[in-house]
Amino acid sequence: MPIVEVVSVAPPEHASPDVDLDSAAKEQTDRPWVTIVWNDPVNLMSYVAWVFRTYFGYSEAKAEKLMLAVHQEGKAVVSSGPRERMETDTEAMQGYGLWATFEKDT
Amino acid sequence: MATAFRRKGSRVVAKLDGNERAIVRELLDQTRQLLAPSGGTGDPVEDLFAGLGETPDPDELAHRDPALARLLPDGHRDDPEVAAEFRALTENGLRQRKTANLSTAIEALDQPATRDKLELDLGQAQALLIGLSDVRLALGERLGLRTDEDSEQLQQDLAAAGAAGADDPQLVIGLYYDFLTWLQESLALALR
Repeated sequence: MPIVEVVSVAPPEHASPDVDLDSAAKEQTDRPWVTIVWNDPVNLMSYVAWVFRTYFGYSEAKAEKLMLAVHQEGKAVVSSGPRERMETDTEAMQGYGLWATFEKDT
Repeated sequence: MATAFRRKGSRVVAKLDGNERAIVRELLDQTRQLLAPSGGTGDPVEDLFAGLGETPDPDELAHRDPALARLLPDGHRDDPEVAAEFRALTENGLRQRKTANLSTAIEALDQPATRDKLELDLGQAQALLIGLSDVRLALGERLGLRTDEDSEQLQQDLAAAGAAGADDPQLVIGLYYDFLTWLQESLALALR
């Protein structure tokens, strides 16, 4: 799988006229965002757990559990909260060399 | 011959002979050159603000060295617009920080060594630990490591090639990668 996919630029879809702006706005604030760390074949399990302990201050048990989830399930949500904070966490994880993204929680 | 890192109070200590040290230093330096923000003034603060919010050239992004692309991945998987916005806000700073971190690791390796001893304070150890990840990601991309199975295959190829591997350029990269994996693992365990 290519690390950076070439994404074609599609014309923006028109918003459907029946969107309830109030409930859409409410959903925006109610649903948190998440930071996800994806499995990769390079980063060591010991290192990934160290990053989770060092950056998030997670306990050894929680860091190990998250690291194993990344390794075995291919990804794990490592933090959740407001979008801005998830962007900060994603940037930090990328700083450590982990493959991190953020998205709205589903 | 290298020995694993071990903790000694507030420091970590390993042994690296001159050749091993030179290889690690060279690979850290090559990764630093790969990551150095392009077109900067050289003043870190000025460059940081100059690059803030600047959208990376889409053409450069599309044709970027895959190793660099791996070190600076998209921040959003499904929404290219959000990913581009995130990249504009963070990429320059990320490159600055990674470059500075690699410089700290390189300076630590440049300390004069007695009897091959490499002694690091915890800040230097952390910089080397993180820097080794960046180097291994770049080498892993050169080796085409995309899945855990690829990593296992590399181990088998290295074992099968044995001493003859030193003649095959791709296997030499594999040997460097393997050595850095061992070194990083020992450092991560020493910092637990």
